[in-house]
Amino acid sequence: MNPYVIRPLLHRGFIAAGGVLLIAALATDYVYYKTALWQWSNFSAWLITAGLIVMLVAVIVLLFDFATGRAARLETGSFVLVAASALISLINAFVHSRDAWTSVVPQGILLSAVSAILLLIAAARGWSIATSRAPGDRS
Amino acid sequence: MTTTALRPILALLSFTAALTACGDPGGDPARQYGADPYLPEPHQYLLPPMSVPQEIGWPSGEKPTVPAGLKVEALATGLEHPRSVYTLPNGDILVVESNGPGTEAYRPKDFIAGKVKARAGAAAKGGNRITLLRGPAGDGQPALRTVFIDHLHSPYGVALVGDTLYVANTDAILAFDYQPGMTHISSPGVKLTDLPAGPIDHHWTKAMTASADGSKLYVGVGSNSNITENGMAVEEGRAAIYEVDRLTGAKHIFAAGTRNPTGLAFEPQTGRLFAVVNERDEIGPDLVPDYLSSIQQGGFYGWPYSYWGSHVDVRVQPQRPDLVARAIKPDYGLSSHVAPLSLLFSQGQSLSPDFANGAFISEHGSWDRSPLNGYQVIFVAFVNGRPVGKPVPVVTGFLGADSETVRGRPVGLALDRSGALLVADDAGNTVWRVSAAQSGT
Repeated sequence: MNPYVIRPLLHRGFIAAGGVLLIAALATDYVYYKTALWQWSNFSAWLITAGLIVMLVAVIVLLFDFATGRAARLETGSFVLVAASALISLINAFVHSRDAWTSVVPQGILLSAVSAILLLIAAARGWSIATSRAPGDRS
Repeated sequence: MTTTALRPILALLSFTAALTACGDPGGDPARQYGADPYLPEPHQYLLPPMSVPQEIGWPSGEKPTVPAGLKVEALATGLEHPRSVYTLPNGDILVVESNGPGTEAYRPKDFIAGKVKARAGAAAKGGNRITLLRGPAGDGQPALRTVFIDHLHSPYGVALVGDTLYVANTDAILAFDYQPGMTHISSPGVKLTDLPAGPIDHHWTKAMTASADGSKLYVGVGSNSNITENGMAVEEGRAAIYEVDRLTGAKHIFAAGTRNPTGLAFEPQTGRLFAVVNERDEIGPDLVPDYLSSIQQGGFYGWPYSYWGSHVDVRVQPQRPDLVARAIKPDYGLSSHVAPLSLLFSQGQSLSPDFANGAFISEHGSWDRSPLNGYQVIFVAFVNGRPVGKPVPVVTGFLGADSETVRGRPVGLALDRSGALLVADDAGNTVWRVSAAQSGT
């Protein structure tokens, strides 16, 4: 492979997609908190589940980025943000599997909020959790 | 590089697994028998305590266990999910083969729950029919076995009044003309009244019994959720016991707040209506005790707002303190997650003097508790029309000794004409007959 060609990191789009789903769960949690209308808590449960599945895909694609020499090394700050958000969302998926009010209030919406804040910071950092291999970088 | 990247992820996953696996085991069920059961503090779980035994059916020649002085034999096998049994005046036995109509998956959890239920055998297809068994009176195998009524819709309760046989499908009561000796009814029946069913139809069984004078039918309608997670709109007219006028089909709610009233029967001494009710799940292995209770006309028994009187369930919003204030405490706790599905008052000493006055209750068992509870038929003695003392196990052995396997699960109960106890076993696809052991056998 030509070491002087910069190839794009593939994983960041998947991180972004999963992140958007997980952030959206905060919005649906909030509507449920305000209305107690059951369907909004179901939306949250689906958004969190789908977000986690896309994040899992993102991890596989990240490994592919490393394997194909697109990624150089983990971007520690963004990685911690996204990984912490995924962990919180995994716990949150279980919280959202409860029945009725306590599936969201108070722990569910709190976890959704923390996860959303972490992901928004990761978004500001460009979603990528690994650095691109610079031209000529042979590490 | 790759392994470095994976390590924190694996650490996070194992941490989460440890977090979700924690769940305290249930205590001694005996603390929850009777009028004043022990009620621990409710908990909200990441993963509620559960234990899912695998359904394996009855190995050839094996059968449930009964106390000394009684014997048990299979009256019929190879049935399609038998749920109720009913004895006609001429001694013919009706076996209702049925299961729920199936529900939509509204949440990711519903998919998981579906898999769990399938493992425990609850997803088996029901026959949607009633089979008639006719046997030499009092013993042995039935000489005749026919499909009595076919093409029903998740039937459960059966009641004969005069020459009319009422069948409670999950969505309606059907009336069939019946003459003694009939072995097949081909008419589709006449609808007496609709019953609350879909959408969802979470608790689908419609237990039914007739008043002594035959003028009214009483029907148990279960809630459409565990604890209102499917919204309040679908709970309209549910979690209630209905009184249906037999001639006109006019119906009204006789008592409310009974989460899933799966068995109804009149106490013979006082003539009062009793019910067994399945209470709510997922707030602890010892919450909430299922119960046996007399049912007061116009009474409210708590669901969904509270349990065992005025213990508020915080999962229900908005709350209703006005209803909680008048919620009736049930008469008798059966302990938690036993899933009582049938209530049958004994009629004299046909089995044993020990069982002369009281109620048999089948405990189907559930997976909402670890260790498992129920999976047996019990007897609760009555004095002056009230349940007293501790339950006595009558038919046991449905659960494997290791609690890992289920061989059968008791559901419907009836006495045959000779006074023997019939037990429908929906996981074992068998109807068991429990009778007094003859001397010398």
